[in-house]
Amino acid sequence: MRLAFWLYEGTALHGISRVTNSMKGVHTVYHAPQGDDYITATYTMLERTPQFPGLSISVVRGRDLAQGVSRLPATLQQVDHHYNPELIVIAPSCSTALLQEDLHQLAAHSGLPQEKILVYALNPFRVSENEAADGLLTELVKRYAVAQEKTAQPSVNLIGFTSLGFHLRANLTSIRRMLQTLGIAVNVVAPWGASIDDLRKLPAAWLNIAPYREIGTTAAEYLAETFDMPALYEAPIGVEPTLAWLRSLIEKLNAAGVERGVPPIAMPKMHAFSLDGQSAPSGVPWFARTADMESFSNKRAFVFGDATHTVALVKFLRDELGMQIIGAGTYLERHADWVRKELEGYLPGALIVTDKFQDVAQIIDDQMPDLVCGTQMERHSCRKLDVPCMVVCPPTHIENHLLGYYPFFGFDGADVIADRVYLSCKLGLEKHLIDFFGDAGLEYEQSEASPSPEESQPSGSNGHLSPELTADVVTITEEGEMKWSDEAETMLKKVPFFVRKKVRKNTETFARGNGDTMVSVEVFRQAKESLGG
Amino acid sequence: MMQLSRDIQVIKEDNVTHSFCGLACVGWMYQKIKDSFFLVLGTHTCAHFLQNALGMMIFAKPRFGIALMEEGDLSKNEPTLEEIIREIKADHNPSVIFLLSSCTPEVMKVDFKGLAHLLSTDDVPVLFVPASGLVYNFTQAEDSVLSALVPFCPVAPAGQKSVVFLGSVNDVTADDLRAEAEALGISVGGFLPESRFDKMPAIGPDTVLAPIQPYLSRVAVKLARERGASVLHSLFPFGPDGTRAFWEDLAREFGITVNLRDREKAAWEKIRNQTELLKGKKVFLTADTMMELPLARFLHSAGADVVECSSAYINKKFHARELEALDGVRVVEQPNFHRQLEDVRRIQPDLIITSLMTANPFVGNGFVVKWSMEFMLMSIHSWSGVVTLANMFVSPLQRRSKLPAFDREVWLEGVMPSAE
Repeated sequence: MRLAFWLYEGTALHGISRVTNSMKGVHTVYHAPQGDDYITATYTMLERTPQFPGLSISVVRGRDLAQGVSRLPATLQQVDHHYNPELIVIAPSCSTALLQEDLHQLAAHSGLPQEKILVYALNPFRVSENEAADGLLTELVKRYAVAQEKTAQPSVNLIGFTSLGFHLRANLTSIRRMLQTLGIAVNVVAPWGASIDDLRKLPAAWLNIAPYREIGTTAAEYLAETFDMPALYEAPIGVEPTLAWLRSLIEKLNAAGVERGVPPIAMPKMHAFSLDGQSAPSGVPWFARTADMESFSNKRAFVFGDATHTVALVKFLRDELGMQIIGAGTYLERHADWVRKELEGYLPGALIVTDKFQDVAQIIDDQMPDLVCGTQMERHSCRKLDVPCMVVCPPTHIENHLLGYYPFFGFDGADVIADRVYLSCKLGLEKHLIDFFGDAGLEYEQSEASPSPEESQPSGSNGHLSPELTADVVTITEEGEMKWSDEAETMLKKVPFFVRKKVRKNTETFARGNGDTMVSVEVFRQAKESLGG
Repeated sequence: MMQLSRDIQVIKEDNVTHSFCGLACVGWMYQKIKDSFFLVLGTHTCAHFLQNALGMMIFAKPRFGIALMEEGDLSKNEPTLEEIIREIKADHNPSVIFLLSSCTPEVMKVDFKGLAHLLSTDDVPVLFVPASGLVYNFTQAEDSVLSALVPFCPVAPAGQKSVVFLGSVNDVTADDLRAEAEALGISVGGFLPESRFDKMPAIGPDTVLAPIQPYLSRVAVKLARERGASVLHSLFPFGPDGTRAFWEDLAREFGITVNLRDREKAAWEKIRNQTELLKGKKVFLTADTMMELPLARFLHSAGADVVECSSAYINKKFHARELEALDGVRVVEQPNFHRQLEDVRRIQPDLIITSLMTANPFVGNGFVVKWSMEFMLMSIHSWSGVVTLANMFVSPLQRRSKLPAFDREVWLEGVMPSAE
């Protein structure tokens, strides 16, 4: 038992519904008490689905338990009658899992044909969002994929693209663009937009692309074992990884093409991959080499997130932008070994593995990096500390569900990530000027960052209590604050605003170390000398 | 079907709805009672719900949290919360801790009363609040919170005749209700809840309880039984019609006769543009917050055609006046959403009042919607809330009329591949 305020991963039910909500003709029935279908709101509000997600709740009331009745058979009949899905996935919630009911038997009481029902009764206390999603997708692939003729021309499946995935639609577009450039057909995307029939067709493709470590890898491995389908597991994030990914894709398809007597695919000129068809495919290589970006080599970056994005971002920041990596971590313990292996030689210390955001916030507070790449929780932690942060993976905020084309995959994605790094970080030459001459009249940015007290009181007349739409306010609680003399405070004001918090903190740590209870001008000077500021 | 006086029929279905569980009340209750901490004994699901639905990560130090039950905790006889309580006290120094139940520990038959008693100290009581989705709907856990507070309301001596308003509203609304009561010559004893734990109102045999939210029937009954207080049975103070009835009836409890006909007329006059627009409009309420009955009654009085008013729970005594005023309107308790969806498609209402889960999909089907939850968070009470209330129904209609006509191809194609 521990006190929790916020968790990185969603529940097993959330993972299950991410898969089924992606698919056509599939309906999930939660065998759960009132309220467990709050998950529906994550789709209708974050993803803004214009149709009712295929999720129904078979309500379990206390009275039903006392009387030993289950509404599940009736709910299944209702769902079948109203929506006529090809498949109904039945999932227990944490509380109903404890009842140890025989869901198969209850489902059978509905009178619906067995082949229409899949009871996915995993242990919600042991399995979380990503594992449940990956597991269910694999289960569905096992159930439906059948051996068949390959397509005449080279084709691929895109596996693991899932409802509420990070920049899902844009990533899919970026991959489709590259495949189109190479003349490779997409056989099936799963689960996003796939029907049961599409799952049956999976083995017709020549190769599987499963770029997400969290969801889809297991299904691709199953297809590799059972149908002898090659797979590409890397995520094309960054310019060099995208190039390597393209080469590997071509090589694997050509190997299969030789057996089938299909002429090989040739790597086209690089400009064929650009948005206008006549330029370098990405601006990153040149951008990273400009004098303007030289200052980035001194910048210290910290990365924390899921497995796929943590690995990709560490590599991108170091290999392509030349930044220093001061640490990285993941909240996905089950993928920690993979992340560790991938990042061998990249990290100055051990990989951080934790699902407690407070631990991560503490590390950021101690290290005060120049850039943090994280989840929306790191964004919140960083706001309090005035540390630049960009969100690079789930869990996300409604702000991460934008309308424009912002992929992370492919050449287009490399440009998007580099732009975000650039906009998040403090600038180069400009920084030198400010460092040298003072604050250049930029004080206002600081006062802007502090929240007004009214905004943090949504009980007032206008506070919407709704998923993620609530005003983004961070309340800062200062505890055990050290006193500063007026003169020292004035001196501190001369420090550029964007490093002022860091300087204040370092100075206070220094003062405490010396047993001082107040920062005077003298203490401040000593600290500056000692810390080299 | 249950029979009410004057043969008002309420259709009862099987409660297959899209709505939150009682834990949602944490979102507004912890802000209302400023020296409190709300501790949910629950699972990953409860935590995920609160962080998604209530956006709790926005606060550096929210005064609520989850005592997270993990797999290892399931085999233990009773949860041990001492360490967590110590942590909460050290970090937040609350005057009171509300311990909310959730589904999993209720299935495990955790003795919450005993647990709360064990954890209570004289300085910081720990109060059990039943809130799980096995029993309670969205707003009903506020009723549980208020019930838990009853022992901390001093006993008002006999002869001390005053009104105590039941329901958490923001300070502006509270001040407004207080001023209105005093202007009518009604002595005000306070609000349950007040915004501090040590300031809860005195309640005794001559207290008149005036419920200002329609989901608080249990605490009203409890106070009537335990303290001998009387409960005002009137309309809820929403809209010109409800507000007039509420104040006239409340004044009568104090032996004061007032006629607020002119005031009501003036209030209707003030929202004439809005009611003109609402006249004849077909409005469908799908059930979410349990505010549906008074909202539908206002719409009905304003000339709208309420095609269905569904609510998760209807108490035929507590809601009697609202039900009478809804005579002729189709009222459903514990509705079935699948059936509602078919009816909506057939009836084609002009406006749907519905939950956060279902609002956007209704829009995707071409309908105009309003979030039901918004009515809980706006100042819509009494005379000063009349314009706000009317505008809340009118603004989505007006907004839609300003946007280009609905066009599937331009708006929705490819947005949700699973629906195509």
